[in-house]
Amino acid sequence: MKLKVVSFIFFISSLLLFSSCAQTHYAWNGYDQALYDHYKSPGEREQYIEKLKIIIQRAEESGKIPPGIYAEYGYTFYESGNHKQAIQYFQKESDLWPESRYFMAKMIRNAQLQGKQTNKNASGSKQNTGEK
Amino acid sequence: MMRILLAVIFSSTITTGCATLPPKDYTDFNAANIRSILIVPVVNNSVDVTAPDYFLSTVSVPVAEHGYYVFPVNLAKRILEDDGLSDANLVHSASATKLCQLFGADAVLYISIERWDAKYMLLTTVVTVELTYSLKSGVSGDVIWEEKRTQTYSPQNSSGGHPIAMLITMAINAAVAKAIPNYMPLAKQANKIAFLYPGPGFPYGPYIKGKKADPEIVDEKKSDSLK
Repeated sequence: MKLKVVSFIFFISSLLLFSSCAQTHYAWNGYDQALYDHYKSPGEREQYIEKLKIIIQRAEESGKIPPGIYAEYGYTFYESGNHKQAIQYFQKESDLWPESRYFMAKMIRNAQLQGKQTNKNASGSKQNTGEK
Repeated sequence: MMRILLAVIFSSTITTGCATLPPKDYTDFNAANIRSILIVPVVNNSVDVTAPDYFLSTVSVPVAEHGYYVFPVNLAKRILEDDGLSDANLVHSASATKLCQLFGADAVLYISIERWDAKYMLLTTVVTVELTYSLKSGVSGDVIWEEKRTQTYSPQNSSGGHPIAMLITMAINAAVAKAIPNYMPLAKQANKIAFLYPGPGFPYGPYIKGKKADPEIVDEKKSDSLK
Protein backbone atom coordinates (compact mmCIF):
# COMPACT_ATOMS: atom_id res chain seq x y z
CA MET A 1 0.00 0.00 0.00
CA LYS A 2 2.76 2.38 1.04
CA LEU A 3 4.70 1.52 -2.05
CA LYS A 4 1.73 2.43 -4.21
CA VAL A 5 1.42 5.76 -2.50
CA VAL A 6 5.13 6.50 -2.98
CA SER A 7 5.02 5.61 -6.64
CA PHE A 8 1.87 7.69 -7.05
CA ILE A 9 3.60 10.72 -5.53
CA PHE A 10 6.51 10.24 -7.89
CA PHE A 11 4.12 9.95 -10.78
CA ILE A 12 2.37 13.19 -9.88
CA SER A 13 5.63 15.04 -9.31
CA SER A 14 6.96 13.90 -12.65
CA LEU A 15 3.74 15.12 -14.22
CA LEU A 16 4.26 18.49 -12.55
CA LEU A 17 7.83 18.65 -13.83
CA PHE A 18 6.52 17.85 -17.24
CA SER A 19 4.04 20.70 -17.27
CA SER A 20 6.18 23.29 -15.53
CA CYS A 21 7.84 24.76 -18.63
CA ALA A 22 5.72 27.89 -18.54
CA GLN A 23 7.84 30.30 -20.56
CA THR A 24 5.91 31.43 -23.61
CA HIS A 25 6.87 33.04 -26.86
CA TYR A 26 3.99 35.53 -26.77
CA ALA A 27 2.47 37.59 -23.96
CA TRP A 28 -0.98 35.94 -23.77
CA ASN A 29 -1.98 37.42 -20.41
CA GLY A 30 -4.96 35.09 -19.99
CA TYR A 31 -6.34 35.26 -23.54
CA ASP A 32 -7.54 31.65 -23.32
CA GLN A 33 -9.24 32.38 -20.00
CA ALA A 34 -10.91 35.50 -21.45
CA LEU A 35 -12.24 33.46 -24.35
CA TYR A 36 -13.40 30.69 -22.01
CA ASP A 37 -15.25 33.20 -19.82
CA HIS A 38 -16.79 34.74 -22.94
CA TYR A 39 -18.17 31.37 -24.03
CA LYS A 40 -19.31 30.58 -20.50
CA SER A 41 -21.20 33.84 -20.00
CA PRO A 42 -21.75 35.51 -23.39
CA GLY A 43 -23.90 38.13 -21.67
CA GLU A 44 -20.84 39.69 -20.04
CA ARG A 45 -19.59 41.04 -23.33
CA GLU A 46 -18.24 44.28 -21.88
CA GLN A 47 -15.92 42.34 -19.58
CA TYR A 48 -14.61 40.31 -22.50
CA ILE A 49 -13.88 43.50 -24.45
CA GLU A 50 -12.19 45.05 -21.43
CA LYS A 51 -10.01 41.95 -20.98
CA LEU A 52 -8.95 42.01 -24.63
CA LYS A 53 -8.05 45.67 -24.24
CA ILE A 54 -5.84 44.96 -21.23
CA ILE A 55 -4.24 41.96 -22.95
CA ILE A 56 -3.30 44.16 -25.91
CA GLN A 57 -1.93 46.91 -23.66
CA ARG A 58 0.29 44.49 -21.78
CA ALA A 59 1.35 42.66 -24.92
CA GLU A 60 2.35 45.93 -26.56
CA GLU A 61 4.40 46.85 -23.51
CA SER A 62 6.31 43.57 -23.70
CA GLY A 63 6.53 43.60 -27.48
CA LYS A 64 5.34 39.99 -27.64
CA ILE A 65 1.95 40.49 -29.26
CA PRO A 66 0.14 37.19 -29.86
CA PRO A 67 -1.32 36.43 -33.31
CA GLY A 68 -5.03 37.10 -33.76
CA ILE A 69 -5.49 39.39 -30.79
CA TYR A 70 -5.85 42.65 -32.75
CA ALA A 71 -8.37 40.98 -35.05
CA GLU A 72 -10.45 39.63 -32.14
CA TYR A 73 -10.48 43.05 -30.54
CA GLY A 74 -11.30 44.74 -33.84
CA TYR A 75 -14.23 42.40 -34.32
CA THR A 76 -15.79 43.53 -31.03
CA PHE A 77 -15.91 47.05 -32.52
CA TYR A 78 -17.30 45.64 -35.74
CA GLU A 79 -20.10 43.94 -33.79
CA SER A 80 -21.03 47.10 -31.95
CA GLY A 81 -21.11 49.09 -35.18
CA ASN A 82 -17.94 51.08 -34.58
CA HIS A 83 -16.54 50.34 -38.02
CA LYS A 84 -13.79 52.95 -37.95
CA GLN A 85 -12.16 51.43 -34.86
CA ALA A 86 -12.73 47.94 -36.27
CA ILE A 87 -10.81 48.84 -39.43
CA GLN A 88 -7.97 50.28 -37.36
CA TYR A 89 -7.46 47.02 -35.48
CA PHE A 90 -7.91 44.82 -38.55
CA GLN A 91 -5.19 46.93 -40.16
CA LYS A 92 -2.91 46.43 -37.15
CA GLU A 93 -3.34 42.67 -37.42
CA SER A 94 -2.63 42.84 -41.12
CA ASP A 95 0.52 44.95 -40.64
CA LEU A 96 1.94 42.70 -37.94
CA TRP A 97 1.12 39.32 -39.52
CA PRO A 98 1.49 38.95 -43.30
CA GLU A 99 -0.38 35.62 -43.07
CA SER A 100 -3.52 37.52 -42.03
CA ARG A 101 -3.46 40.03 -44.90
CA TYR A 102 -5.93 38.27 -47.15
CA PHE A 103 -8.48 37.73 -44.39
CA MET A 104 -8.02 41.18 -42.87
CA ALA A 105 -8.43 42.86 -46.27
CA LYS A 106 -11.77 41.04 -46.49
CA MET A 107 -12.79 42.15 -42.99
CA ILE A 108 -11.78 45.75 -43.74
CA ARG A 109 -13.89 45.71 -46.93
CA ASN A 110 -16.84 44.35 -44.93
CA ALA A 111 -16.41 47.01 -42.26
CA GLN A 112 -16.22 49.77 -44.89
CA LEU A 113 -19.37 48.46 -46.54
CA GLN A 114 -21.22 48.21 -43.24
CA GLY A 115 -19.97 51.64 -42.25
CA LYS A 116 -21.35 53.17 -45.44
CA GLN A 117 -24.71 51.49 -44.87
CA THR A 118 -25.04 52.71 -41.30
CA ASN A 119 -24.13 56.20 -42.45
CA LYS A 120 -26.86 56.05 -45.08
CA ASN A 121 -29.44 54.65 -42.67
CA ALA A 122 -28.62 57.24 -40.06
CA SER A 123 -28.55 59.87 -42.83
CA GLY A 124 -25.59 61.66 -41.40
CA SER A 125 -26.57 61.59 -37.74
CA LYS A 126 -24.49 59.47 -35.39
CA GLN A 127 -27.45 58.05 -33.49
CA ASN A 128 -27.44 54.47 -34.67
CA THR A 129 -23.77 53.66 -34.46
CA GLY A 130 -24.07 52.18 -30.99
CA GLU A 131 -26.16 49.18 -31.99
CA LYS A 132 -26.48 47.04 -35.01
CA MET B 1 14.06 -0.37 -2.30
CA MET B 2 14.46 -1.95 -5.71
CA ARG B 3 10.72 -1.91 -6.18
CA ILE B 4 10.53 1.77 -5.34
CA LEU B 5 13.26 2.50 -7.83
CA LEU B 6 11.39 0.53 -10.45
CA ALA B 7 8.24 2.48 -9.67
CA VAL B 8 10.11 5.75 -10.17
CA ILE B 9 11.54 4.63 -13.48
CA PHE B 10 8.15 3.36 -14.56
CA SER B 11 6.35 6.57 -13.67
CA SER B 12 8.91 8.72 -15.45
CA THR B 13 8.68 6.64 -18.59
CA ILE B 14 4.92 7.12 -18.65
CA THR B 15 5.25 10.87 -18.92
CA THR B 16 8.15 10.86 -21.34
CA GLY B 17 6.98 7.75 -23.10
CA CYS B 18 5.33 9.69 -25.88
CA ALA B 19 8.71 11.04 -26.96
CA THR B 20 10.22 7.60 -27.39
CA LEU B 21 7.57 6.26 -29.77
CA PRO B 22 8.76 5.77 -33.33
CA PRO B 23 8.77 9.20 -34.98
CA LYS B 24 5.92 10.08 -37.31
CA ASP B 25 6.42 10.49 -41.01
CA TYR B 26 6.56 14.22 -41.69
CA THR B 27 7.09 13.99 -45.46
CA ASP B 28 3.64 15.35 -46.33
CA PHE B 29 3.77 17.86 -43.50
CA ASN B 30 7.11 19.30 -44.61
CA ALA B 31 6.04 19.30 -48.26
CA ALA B 32 2.99 21.42 -47.37
CA ASN B 33 5.35 24.12 -46.00
CA ILE B 34 2.70 25.83 -43.87
CA ARG B 35 2.96 29.18 -42.09
CA SER B 36 -0.60 29.67 -40.88
CA ILE B 37 -3.22 27.43 -39.29
CA LEU B 38 -6.97 27.94 -39.17
CA ILE B 39 -8.55 26.38 -36.09
CA VAL B 40 -12.18 25.60 -36.85
CA PRO B 41 -14.98 24.95 -34.33
CA VAL B 42 -14.76 21.62 -32.56
CA VAL B 43 -17.04 18.64 -33.28
CA ASN B 44 -18.63 17.20 -30.18
CA ASN B 45 -19.17 13.46 -29.85
CA SER B 46 -19.38 13.64 -26.06
CA VAL B 47 -22.52 14.07 -23.97
CA ASP B 48 -21.49 17.47 -22.62
CA VAL B 49 -23.01 20.25 -24.73
CA THR B 50 -20.74 22.97 -23.35
CA ALA B 51 -17.51 21.10 -24.15
CA PRO B 52 -16.78 22.34 -27.70
CA ASP B 53 -16.77 26.08 -27.02
CA TYR B 54 -14.90 25.70 -23.75
CA PHE B 55 -12.35 23.49 -25.42
CA LEU B 56 -11.97 25.82 -28.40
CA SER B 57 -10.58 28.47 -26.07
CA THR B 58 -7.57 26.25 -25.24
CA VAL B 59 -6.27 25.56 -28.74
CA SER B 60 -4.88 28.90 -30.04
CA VAL B 61 -2.14 29.28 -27.44
CA PRO B 62 -0.32 25.96 -27.96
CA VAL B 63 -0.56 26.17 -31.77
CA ALA B 64 0.73 29.76 -31.86
CA GLU B 65 3.45 28.85 -29.38
CA HIS B 66 4.43 26.18 -31.88
CA GLY B 67 5.45 28.93 -34.28
CA TYR B 68 2.49 29.28 -36.61
CA TYR B 69 0.22 32.20 -37.32
CA VAL B 70 -3.12 31.22 -35.79
CA PHE B 71 -6.27 32.83 -37.11
CA PRO B 72 -8.41 34.47 -34.41
CA VAL B 73 -10.64 31.55 -33.35
CA ASN B 74 -13.64 33.50 -32.21
CA LEU B 75 -13.69 35.73 -35.28
CA ALA B 76 -13.23 32.71 -37.56
CA LYS B 77 -16.13 30.97 -35.79
CA ARG B 78 -18.40 33.99 -36.32
CA ILE B 79 -17.44 34.32 -40.00
CA LEU B 80 -18.19 30.64 -40.59
CA GLU B 81 -21.56 31.11 -38.89
CA ASP B 82 -22.30 34.04 -41.19
CA ASP B 83 -21.47 31.78 -44.11
CA GLY B 84 -24.08 29.26 -42.96
CA LEU B 85 -21.61 26.95 -41.24
CA SER B 86 -22.84 27.36 -37.69
CA ASP B 87 -22.69 23.62 -37.04
CA ALA B 88 -19.16 22.29 -36.44
CA ASN B 89 -20.11 19.05 -38.21
CA LEU B 90 -20.81 21.06 -41.35
CA VAL B 91 -17.47 22.84 -41.06
CA HIS B 92 -15.64 19.54 -40.65
CA SER B 93 -17.32 18.07 -43.70
CA ALA B 94 -16.53 21.14 -45.82
CA SER B 95 -13.43 20.83 -47.97
CA ALA B 96 -10.20 21.96 -46.34
CA THR B 97 -9.19 23.68 -49.55
CA LYS B 98 -12.35 25.80 -49.59
CA LEU B 99 -12.00 26.72 -45.90
CA CYS B 100 -8.40 27.77 -46.45
CA GLN B 101 -9.39 29.87 -49.45
CA LEU B 102 -12.00 31.66 -47.37
CA PHE B 103 -9.37 32.83 -44.86
CA GLY B 104 -6.16 32.67 -46.86
CA ALA B 105 -4.89 29.93 -44.53
CA ASP B 106 -2.27 27.28 -45.30
CA ALA B 107 -3.82 24.49 -43.22
CA VAL B 108 -6.92 23.68 -41.16
CA LEU B 109 -6.88 22.05 -37.74
CA TYR B 110 -9.93 19.90 -37.06
CA ILE B 111 -10.47 18.64 -33.53
CA SER B 112 -13.22 16.32 -32.31
CA ILE B 113 -14.12 15.69 -28.71
CA GLU B 114 -14.75 11.97 -28.27
CA ARG B 115 -15.12 11.96 -24.50
CA TRP B 116 -15.60 14.68 -21.88
CA ASP B 117 -17.06 13.01 -18.82
CA ALA B 118 -16.72 12.23 -15.12
CA LYS B 119 -17.55 8.70 -14.01
CA TYR B 120 -18.02 7.68 -10.42
CA MET B 121 -16.11 4.51 -9.62
CA LEU B 122 -15.94 3.01 -6.16
CA LEU B 123 -14.71 5.86 -3.93
CA THR B 124 -13.15 7.80 -6.71
CA THR B 125 -14.19 9.71 -9.79
CA VAL B 126 -12.40 9.38 -13.09
CA VAL B 127 -12.54 12.48 -15.27
CA THR B 128 -11.76 11.73 -18.92
CA VAL B 129 -11.06 13.90 -21.92
CA GLU B 130 -10.51 12.22 -25.27
CA LEU B 131 -9.66 14.19 -28.40
CA THR B 132 -8.77 13.53 -32.01
CA TYR B 133 -6.71 16.05 -33.95
CA SER B 134 -6.34 16.27 -37.69
CA LEU B 135 -4.40 18.86 -39.68
CA LYS B 136 -5.20 19.17 -43.39
CA SER B 137 -3.31 21.01 -46.09
CA GLY B 138 -5.18 23.83 -47.80
CA VAL B 139 -3.53 23.01 -51.10
CA SER B 140 -4.00 19.24 -51.39
CA GLY B 141 -6.77 18.86 -48.81
CA ASP B 142 -4.89 15.83 -47.44
CA VAL B 143 -4.26 15.00 -43.80
CA ILE B 144 -0.69 16.07 -43.01
CA TRP B 145 -0.71 15.26 -39.29
CA GLU B 146 -3.08 13.52 -36.88
CA GLU B 147 -3.14 12.49 -33.26
CA LYS B 148 -5.47 11.03 -30.68
CA ARG B 149 -5.16 11.75 -26.96
CA THR B 150 -6.91 10.49 -23.89
CA GLN B 151 -6.22 12.18 -20.56
CA THR B 152 -7.72 11.06 -17.29
CA TYR B 153 -7.73 12.48 -13.82
CA SER B 154 -8.77 11.22 -10.38
CA PRO B 155 -8.71 13.34 -7.25
CA GLN B 156 -5.57 12.86 -5.16
CA ASN B 157 -6.21 11.37 -1.77
CA SER B 158 -3.72 12.10 0.97
CA SER B 159 -2.34 9.07 2.75
CA GLY B 160 -2.10 8.40 6.49
CA GLY B 161 -4.58 9.07 9.25
CA HIS B 162 -7.49 7.03 10.44
CA PRO B 163 -8.72 4.52 7.84
CA ILE B 164 -12.37 5.53 8.27
CA ALA B 165 -11.48 9.20 8.03
CA MET B 166 -9.53 8.44 4.88
CA LEU B 167 -12.51 6.67 3.34
CA ILE B 168 -14.71 9.64 4.10
CA THR B 169 -12.19 12.04 2.57
CA MET B 170 -11.96 9.85 -0.51
CA ALA B 171 -15.72 9.78 -0.85
CA ILE B 172 -15.95 13.55 -0.51
CA ASN B 173 -13.16 14.12 -3.02
CA ALA B 174 -14.85 11.76 -5.45
CA ALA B 175 -18.20 13.49 -5.02
CA VAL B 176 -16.67 16.92 -5.57
CA ALA B 177 -14.82 15.76 -8.68
CA LYS B 178 -18.08 14.29 -10.00
CA ALA B 179 -20.15 17.37 -9.23
CA ILE B 180 -17.72 19.96 -10.60
CA PRO B 181 -15.30 18.10 -12.84
CA ASN B 182 -12.46 20.33 -13.88
CA TYR B 183 -11.92 19.51 -17.53
CA MET B 184 -9.83 22.48 -18.58
CA PRO B 185 -6.46 21.44 -17.09
CA LEU B 186 -6.96 18.00 -18.65
CA ALA B 187 -7.79 19.49 -22.03
CA LYS B 188 -4.74 21.75 -21.87
CA GLN B 189 -2.55 18.82 -20.92
CA ALA B 190 -3.94 16.80 -23.84
CA ASN B 191 -3.07 19.67 -26.21
CA LYS B 192 0.37 20.05 -24.75
CA ILE B 193 1.24 16.41 -25.33
CA ALA B 194 -0.50 16.24 -28.72
CA PHE B 195 1.59 19.13 -30.10
CA LEU B 196 4.84 18.09 -28.39
CA TYR B 197 7.75 17.96 -30.82
CA PRO B 198 9.82 15.86 -31.11
CA GLY B 199 7.02 13.53 -30.09
CA PRO B 200 3.43 13.10 -31.22
CA GLY B 201 3.24 16.70 -32.49
CA PHE B 202 4.39 18.36 -35.70
CA PRO B 203 7.56 20.40 -36.42
CA TYR B 204 7.81 24.03 -35.30
CA GLY B 205 6.65 26.81 -37.58
CA PRO B 206 8.42 29.89 -38.95
CA TYR B 207 7.94 32.07 -35.86
CA ILE B 208 9.89 29.72 -33.61
CA LYS B 209 12.48 28.61 -36.11
CA GLY B 210 15.93 29.79 -35.14
CA LYS B 211 14.64 31.63 -32.08
CA LYS B 212 13.76 29.39 -29.20
CA ALA B 213 13.76 25.89 -30.61
CA ASP B 214 16.28 23.27 -29.52
CA PRO B 215 19.48 23.35 -31.59
CA GLU B 216 18.81 19.91 -33.01
CA ILE B 217 15.32 20.90 -34.10
CA VAL B 218 16.71 23.93 -35.91
CA ASP B 219 19.27 21.70 -37.59
CA GLU B 220 16.54 19.34 -38.64
CA LYS B 221 14.59 22.24 -40.13
CA LYS B 222 17.64 23.46 -42.00
CA SER B 223 18.34 20.07 -43.50
CA ASP B 224 14.71 19.85 -44.50
CA SER B 225 14.81 23.11 -46.37
CA LEU B 226 18.02 22.08 -48.11
CA LYS B 227 16.42 18.98 -49.56
